Amino acid sequence: MSVTESSFAPIAASTGNPLRLAMQRLWLTGQVLPAGGRLVVQHVFRSDEDRPLEVIYCFPLPRDAALRGFRITGAGFTAHSELKQREDAVRAYEQGMADGSLAALALQYGDGLVNLTVGNVRPAETVTVFLEILAGVELRDDGFRFRFPFALAPAYHSKMRASAADAEGEMELPAGEFGDLILPRFRLDASSLHEIGFDLSLLHQLPIDVIGSPSHAIKVKQDTTGPARVALAPAKDVPNRDLILDVRFKESKLQVLAGPSGDGKRSFAAVVPSTLFGQTAGSPRRIVMLLDRSGSMEGEPIAQARKAIEACLAGLSEDDSFGLMAFDDRVEAMHPALVAATREQRECARIFLKNADARGGTELALGVRQAAQMLGGEGDILIITDGQVLGTEKILADARATGIRLSCLGIGSASQDRFLGLLARETGGVSRFVTARERVDLSAVDLFASMGRPVAAGLKAGGNVQPEPPGRVFAGTPVLLYGEVDTHSDDRVELTWDGGSMSIDVPSGDRETGEAVRLLRGSRLITDWESRYPSEKAVAPLEKREQSRVAAQLFELSKMYGLASREMSLVAVVKREGDRPGELPDTRVVPVGMAQDTAFRAYFGGGAKQIVMDSYRPPSDRFFNAVEAAVKARPGATPLFSRAPLFSRSLRQTSSARDVSASNSDLMDLAAMLEPDGGMPGDSLGVRAGRTIAALFTFVAAGHTLTTGAFRLHLTRLATFLKSLSAPSDREARLIETVINAASTGKVPTGPWLILASEPGTQWQQIEEALQ
Amino acid sequence: MTLAEIAEASGLAARTIRFYIARGLLNGPVKGGRSAAYTPEHLARLERIKRLQSTGHALSDIARILSGPSEDDSEMVPATAWWQHAVADDVVVWVRAGASPWRAKQVRAAVDEFARRIGQAKNSEKE
Repeated sequence: MSVTESSFAPIAASTGNPLRLAMQRLWLTGQVLPAGGRLVVQHVFRSDEDRPLEVIYCFPLPRDAALRGFRITGAGFTAHSELKQREDAVRAYEQGMADGSLAALALQYGDGLVNLTVGNVRPAETVTVFLEILAGVELRDDGFRFRFPFALAPAYHSKMRASAADAEGEMELPAGEFGDLILPRFRLDASSLHEIGFDLSLLHQLPIDVIGSPSHAIKVKQDTTGPARVALAPAKDVPNRDLILDVRFKESKLQVLAGPSGDGKRSFAAVVPSTLFGQTAGSPRRIVMLLDRSGSMEGEPIAQARKAIEACLAGLSEDDSFGLMAFDDRVEAMHPALVAATREQRECARIFLKNADARGGTELALGVRQAAQMLGGEGDILIITDGQVLGTEKILADARATGIRLSCLGIGSASQDRFLGLLARETGGVSRFVTARERVDLSAVDLFASMGRPVAAGLKAGGNVQPEPPGRVFAGTPVLLYGEVDTHSDDRVELTWDGGSMSIDVPSGDRETGEAVRLLRGSRLITDWESRYPSEKAVAPLEKREQSRVAAQLFELSKMYGLASREMSLVAVVKREGDRPGELPDTRVVPVGMAQDTAFRAYFGGGAKQIVMDSYRPPSDRFFNAVEAAVKARPGATPLFSRAPLFSRSLRQTSSARDVSASNSDLMDLAAMLEPDGGMPGDSLGVRAGRTIAALFTFVAAGHTLTTGAFRLHLTRLATFLKSLSAPSDREARLIETVINAASTGKVPTGPWLILASEPGTQWQQIEEALQ
Repeated sequence: MTLAEIAEASGLAARTIRFYIARGLLNGPVKGGRSAAYTPEHLARLERIKRLQSTGHALSDIARILSGPSEDDSEMVPATAWWQHAVADDVVVWVRAGASPWRAKQVRAAVDEFARRIGQAKNSEKE
């Protein structure tokens, strides 16, 4: 029996022996631009068996992604894939298999899942597949987040079949919806699996402030002008989480990537920051927070989600109304209707969240439907979920039908970034995706500040912009426009919206950028159409017509851009000397690591002893009893409009009275203290004003202003409270003006602002003294 | 039957059939090489696998079912986790964990209904 002898052979940590893996290496290279990535993923397959192997590797596509092609190499051969209609590609693959030839096939299924199958890998043969993928990025005004799935997380489907044995979980999906998709086994310990790594170049127009990764240790090589290089710092890693790269620019400006793309055309991608559209209008918000409490959220994700919701609620004023719901395979609501964001209702929300433990499945569509009903046709839904759900085309169709804007905060290390990005975009909302090891509450506050009040609406663009520009623009999230202009006649694109307009200059650019942008546009269009693909085989005439329409569009787009889709697939067959027709290979499915921070038992059952996992009570009783107990336990049963602090939190004291720096935890605690009228708590108006000014200075000193930073919404509320005060003298009126100016400009005098904000007795006069 | 023919007859992809053979759910072809052939027994077995899948069985369960009762049942994965539903002060319902989602949903609905009915019964007793 042979063992792997290649230089990159993985070794079993327990025994030190080389591992016999059908796939040994997964390496990501390519370019990442501010609009998306043009990537090449290297897969190394090897057979250490005494008969040919057929190896199946299953992976999820990143957001807005499509496969462009692959190159397959081995000893003495190199071949390129062809793009064929799905049935033809399968036929070509099977013929190659029957002939004993090396054959490779990339088939795409629902939810952006792909099976890459390489058949007839001979004993001791090494075969490498270089797969080119176009992928989008999650955009922010000041940068972007790039996410690539090195792992596949198990996900909930109401008709899935799951089992577990030997620390591996297995999951199967209904054939009626997923055809012949083969999912991998999910291994609890990823250290014995194939190795992964990456080496990417980052092309940028704006000066880079920072490149970081919350998922992997990275090394960055960067000079002032050329592309930055980002690589995995250790020699290799394990496939149990996505790669996440955060790129922040030093400034937030319009970026236009362009270049010739043939036929006398120039393709372009413009990233237009929301700050170029203006300010939000101040109207009351109507928001339902929808918390995913499914079993897969167990542990850190649900703990983080609870904190995130509490922090968001502190950003609401008494004019705003909110609802709070939690779903697994049923939905529970804090209250059957929206309630005003008073202190009492925020306290109810806190108790509701405390009782929302992780359990059950992920019936996201049911949650969305009930949240939409609660809003009654107007408002926003904020979903906090790991997105680990399958059958997402149906959820997307249901979400579109509600006509309500959905914004998504995803929490997870290997999750459905593609789905949550689509869910937000297709309904006109915004999405963010973070790992459970990041500050989820900060991202939630940032996302929440973008919701409800668009900075612009009614966008229209020239320059053959496709897909259509979004209907609304929200603060913090830029608009991405893909288009095409005539090389000789146009070098400018007009963008208009209700009450404003701008001209976008399209530079000449180079051919490579032009082609990358053209492909990214195609990949985005294919993703959009695929999200409309009926989830199951159509039966009714209307569904059949819709399915045919989507299929025809995908076929045309695939042909036009040379990109694979669910209608067209990639296949290659390599005839080698000594091929033995008819030999039956041994079929192996490449296992994947269980996603970091995802509980194995949430999908595949629990431990060895008998355990009690849940106790059932009619939810309303349990919840309202808890609320009643909490209200009784509160000293003095405070009247409705008293100014006692909402949550009994205490801020950490800094070591020096002059130390003005505040950590994100301090800021989060400070944000949660805001009263529904936007001011800080206190026994008298003087104290409230003093603490409010100090709090505002604390946020500004930490880099937040009225329009930028995660706490912009809280700053706006603090400023609104100060403006509402009737200043007893000119001197105090001037002080308020100074403070509000500071919130706009981001310039703040040094002082012990955090200390003063946290002191329950800080007076107006102490602020003046500190300023002197 | 060739692999292509049995694939068409069963409505399964050829790749899926190879996968079932590799997992031991289905015997390999009766001959090797170019003359590899599949029999009506192969087809019947594939139909049985499809039926079992449609009733919620995972492939690992199906492998056990198809191989008949095992002498050593300890090799089967036992259900060791239980959900405990305290539906009233004097009634607890235990449900074995690990059921398929639709079965779990059915059971939960039944428990809900049961809880509601015994709640009503208790209230009328009080009255």
